Amino acid sequence: MHIDPLGEISHDPLAKIGMLMLATVTLMAIFAPLLSSYSPHDYTGEIFSPPSMDHLLGTDSMGQDIWVRLLYGARTSLLVAGAVALLSTLLSVLVGATAALAGGLYERFCMRIVDAMISLPTIIVMILVAAYLRPSLPLLILLISAFSWPGGARIVRSQVLSLKERMHINAARTFGAGWRHIVSTHIIPDLSPIISALMMQDARRAVFMEAGLAFLGVSDPMVISWGKMMHQALAFTYLDVWQWWLVPTGLALSATLIGISFLSCSLETAMNPRLKKDHARDNARYG
Amino acid sequence: MEQKREHSFWKILGKNLFPASLQSYLIALGAIFSLNFILPRLMPGDPLHAIYGDEALVAMTDEMEAQLIRQFSLDKSWWDQMLAYIMGLLQGDLGFSYYYREQVSQVILGALPWTLLLAGLALVIATAIGIILGIESGFCRGSSLDRGLVASLMFLGGFPDFFIGILLLLIFAVSLDIMPLSGATSPYAGYEGLAYMLDVLKHLALPLASMVLVQLGGIFLLTRNTMVTLLGESFILTARAKGCPESYIKYSHAGRNSLLPVTTATGMHIPHLITGALFIEIVFSYPGIGSLLNTAIAARDYPLIQGILLIVTVTVLSANYLVDLLYMRLDPRVRYAH
Amino acid sequence: MLSIRDLKISFGKTQILSGIDLDLEKGECLALVGESGAGKTTLGLSIMGLARGSATGEISFQKKNLLALPEDELRQLRGREMAMVFQNVEDALDPVQRIADQIAEAITVHRCISAKNAGDMALRHLLSVGLNGEKARLYPHQLSGGEKQRVLIAMALVNDPDLLILDEPTASLDALTKADIIRLFRSAILGRICIVITHDISLAAALADKMAVLYAGRIVEMGRAESLIRDPHHPYTRGLIRSYPDMTTTKDLQGIPGRLVHGLSGCPFHGRCTQRIDICSRQIPKQRELDGRIIACHRGGIVPLLEISGLSHTFQANYVLRDVFLTLYEGETLALVGESGSGKSTLSKTIMGLHEPDRGQFILEGCSVIKRDAAFYSRVQMIFQNPKESVSHRMNVLDAVQEPLLVQRESSYEARLGRAKEVLDLVELPVDDDFLKRYPHQLSGGEVQRVAIARALALGPKLLIADEPTSALDPSVQAKILKLLMNLQEKMGLAMLFVTHDIALARKVSDRMAVMHKGRIVEEGATNEVLIHPRHPYTRRLVDCALGRYGMENAEIEMMVEPEPVVLEKYC
Repeated sequence: MHIDPLGEISHDPLAKIGMLMLATVTLMAIFAPLLSSYSPHDYTGEIFSPPSMDHLLGTDSMGQDIWVRLLYGARTSLLVAGAVALLSTLLSVLVGATAALAGGLYERFCMRIVDAMISLPTIIVMILVAAYLRPSLPLLILLISAFSWPGGARIVRSQVLSLKERMHINAARTFGAGWRHIVSTHIIPDLSPIISALMMQDARRAVFMEAGLAFLGVSDPMVISWGKMMHQALAFTYLDVWQWWLVPTGLALSATLIGISFLSCSLETAMNPRLKKDHARDNARYG
Repeated sequence: MEQKREHSFWKILGKNLFPASLQSYLIALGAIFSLNFILPRLMPGDPLHAIYGDEALVAMTDEMEAQLIRQFSLDKSWWDQMLAYIMGLLQGDLGFSYYYREQVSQVILGALPWTLLLAGLALVIATAIGIILGIESGFCRGSSLDRGLVASLMFLGGFPDFFIGILLLLIFAVSLDIMPLSGATSPYAGYEGLAYMLDVLKHLALPLASMVLVQLGGIFLLTRNTMVTLLGESFILTARAKGCPESYIKYSHAGRNSLLPVTTATGMHIPHLITGALFIEIVFSYPGIGSLLNTAIAARDYPLIQGILLIVTVTVLSANYLVDLLYMRLDPRVRYAH
Repeated sequence: MLSIRDLKISFGKTQILSGIDLDLEKGECLALVGESGAGKTTLGLSIMGLARGSATGEISFQKKNLLALPEDELRQLRGREMAMVFQNVEDALDPVQRIADQIAEAITVHRCISAKNAGDMALRHLLSVGLNGEKARLYPHQLSGGEKQRVLIAMALVNDPDLLILDEPTASLDALTKADIIRLFRSAILGRICIVITHDISLAAALADKMAVLYAGRIVEMGRAESLIRDPHHPYTRGLIRSYPDMTTTKDLQGIPGRLVHGLSGCPFHGRCTQRIDICSRQIPKQRELDGRIIACHRGGIVPLLEISGLSHTFQANYVLRDVFLTLYEGETLALVGESGSGKSTLSKTIMGLHEPDRGQFILEGCSVIKRDAAFYSRVQMIFQNPKESVSHRMNVLDAVQEPLLVQRESSYEARLGRAKEVLDLVELPVDDDFLKRYPHQLSGGEVQRVAIARALALGPKLLIADEPTSALDPSVQAKILKLLMNLQEKMGLAMLFVTHDIALARKVSDRMAVMHKGRIVEEGATNEVLIHPRHPYTRRLVDCALGRYGMENAEIEMMVEPEPVVLEKYC
């Protein structure tokens, strides 16, 4: 039976909702300059002005237009998400696949490192490192990637291990295929759904981490970030300004995260045939 | 024969107390030690400067500087510095927090119980509710209850934890004003006994609720999906053929088996749980490690950040270790592996 | 005690069971056999009330209709009055509970009993299936497959159920363990109604007294297990038994062409059946009972193709054939063995009408054969010993193959060419123009024989008389030709009268064997039984020679009092 999880999720309503949310955020990020008449670094003069035609979401404590900053914040989030997803997944596949294929001491070494890293409170490690090295966007991307790959490496390794034992790979070996052929024609294509699932997970974690770190005060001072906006807004909950400062920013962040979650959940269901199988049939009798 | 048996007894005991994962925990701990030791020393400038940062040194007297240099052998070789560092750690010395003007260990010990209370309770409550809902939902998969739960909990789980906290804070404390805005106790109230407990619970309610809401989704979905998979197994059919009532099948067979992956996942989730607690604490100004960290970052109190990292790592690793021991209690295949 | 009436189960649009009728008394054990997907397990599960999908009909057990029972009452019957042992031994036990606890649970869910008493009962039952107290405290992963199966049996028997259903109970066990478990089952099924679901015919034979063959959700044949295996009446049953090896099987294994399809109109098997007629695809055959055998087939089971009775022939005042009776069934191979001059070839030539007999009658497909007309020859064809002689050297391949068509006045060249290509393809020969134009001397012996077979097939016969068809060929070619003949039999349901003096060869290709001696059939029976227990001295001698034991002199047989021919009933 041929299963194509990537093709299948396009019919899932959950995936459609997720896609829609992500598309909205992406469009916001791409067309940010067109959707507003201010630059994110402009100071308008008035602080805490309520929403108006001039300022869709009002202005913040520095007198900057919140709507504009929200739009440019999407750029940061998506940039970090994309970069981390690529980098971290690359590391996961590299370590996981080589560990599974090479085996022996190398595999044990890699997996010990992976286990150790998984059990660390990564955010605090990142905070410490970023605090010493002075945070900047590329550093954050590198840091988040450096701490995101181990979980994926574990999954890739177990997948490759089970693939290695599959009959069609054994069959290819009986034709005298070398490992280069096996990896490129059997393992990589079979891994592609896993890899796309990993990328989504990594992207989600990256968006969350970047916002979280910024929320804690660890961020590139030159970059507009949703987390930093929420960090600043949280200090003014005694004013009504949270209604158009804190909440929309949080919602934008949540929409991005939920969009990715829905997509990856739908993909996971499509990859697990048992979860997918016709629901109604099983419950005909047991209710 | 007798000897052999004794041998295997020790072997089993050893296996039960020292799971294979212990090795990676030690590696993790070692990595944090080295990070704490090496990172400041890689920075340009003199070591004291690097360890304590610019802000701290402004507030420091010359005597204190001299004392610190002596204590950590900062004027000697790296090797001596490391020995001094390790000796210090063994004596529970995590350095000096210039911001609080107190030993880092003292500062952290004051905050740790609140974090443990928050995170521990959140873990227990979220796991209990998540497992029960997951079992019920997985058992009647495809029903409206199941679909409703899956959709709503997945939606909730998608929110970043600090935003859930912020929403709860805004709704219940800011708008409705029925819950305290911040802190773990009412200041200067002087409650005692039961009244004190109630006060603590009242302050705990919102942070706890937001943590539970966020953690719930993951545990629920995993339990539910495991349940669905398990219900297709042959031993469930055997149980049905025995004439077991639905409740036995749900809890005693499928439910008990679904605990295994949930336990593993919980163990792997503990670092996220603790960091989640840190965020929530900041939102609610709860006087735990999180708030401490927030202060430390703002004040660039490096020794405090390092101390927090170390203590949180130790806490997380111990929790992981306990989960591993629990897993072995739950799964006889690990306990009595041939 | 258990009676099932018109049980139908469907999943969505697919009907898995379509009208099962079954009656079982206490103490009876029924084996349900059939291919995967035939609905065996669904039938077992539906009795337990565990089948998914919607059910109609009636399952009456202990005077209650199980299909109408509310779930809770059904649950109380499960495990107490009826128990089932499932096929997947490795996964059938809960991995995180001690086995004694799992058995005790089976007791406590049905009775008010203290946990301690239940535990003691569980231990006793484990002991009775051969597992001691130490094993009782173990977890499933610590047991071997056979031990797990014992636990499952103990669990099924613990409440002394009236009905026991075993689903492929030995499928994953090795031979020795299987033997132990079968012994255990033999005592377990005593005094109960028992249903064994299996595709293992030897297991069915070992346990069951009744056997039902399930095909696409219907029972196609049911009867006493032993006689059903020895003498299957339904073509599907025969196919099943032919494809299942046992230690006395001598003929090469044969499969059943095609694959199981649900939801066919008419007889469910008609798509794969080689003796189907028009009605088979239109009407569902009713179950009919005949000599204690229930069979659902429009043709009443495997049809006799050619019946020969009282055939005698003299040649120059000598009997060449004396009072020969012989029946050939659809899709079977009958080997006719005997020494040279015993009358084998005369018999085959007489059937073909090359000799006129003095006395005797032929009945072909139920009609008496009065003259050999076109209709006869399109049903009965012959292949000869020496292909180079039987195919004229003047004819190329195409001419040879289309010769019978021409003789039967098939006028259109296109039709003849098409049919020729079709049959050449059947015998695995090329059909390109170059090959069609070759002459016999340009072909190898094996190829010419294939051409001869193709020629015989051109008219679409049901009976093929093969007179030493391979004796002129090399052994390696002979093997290929025999395989081809067996495959054709499998595909087209050809009956074959295989005339040979080579017993070893006959053993590999025939279902039944008839031994001719001096114009008489002295012994007839299932090939394996004739060869293992030859009754007639002449047969014994033939077998001994074939085995390389050259003890008796020819004369010794001559001197013996000629015994009566041993003509056993079919397959007995």
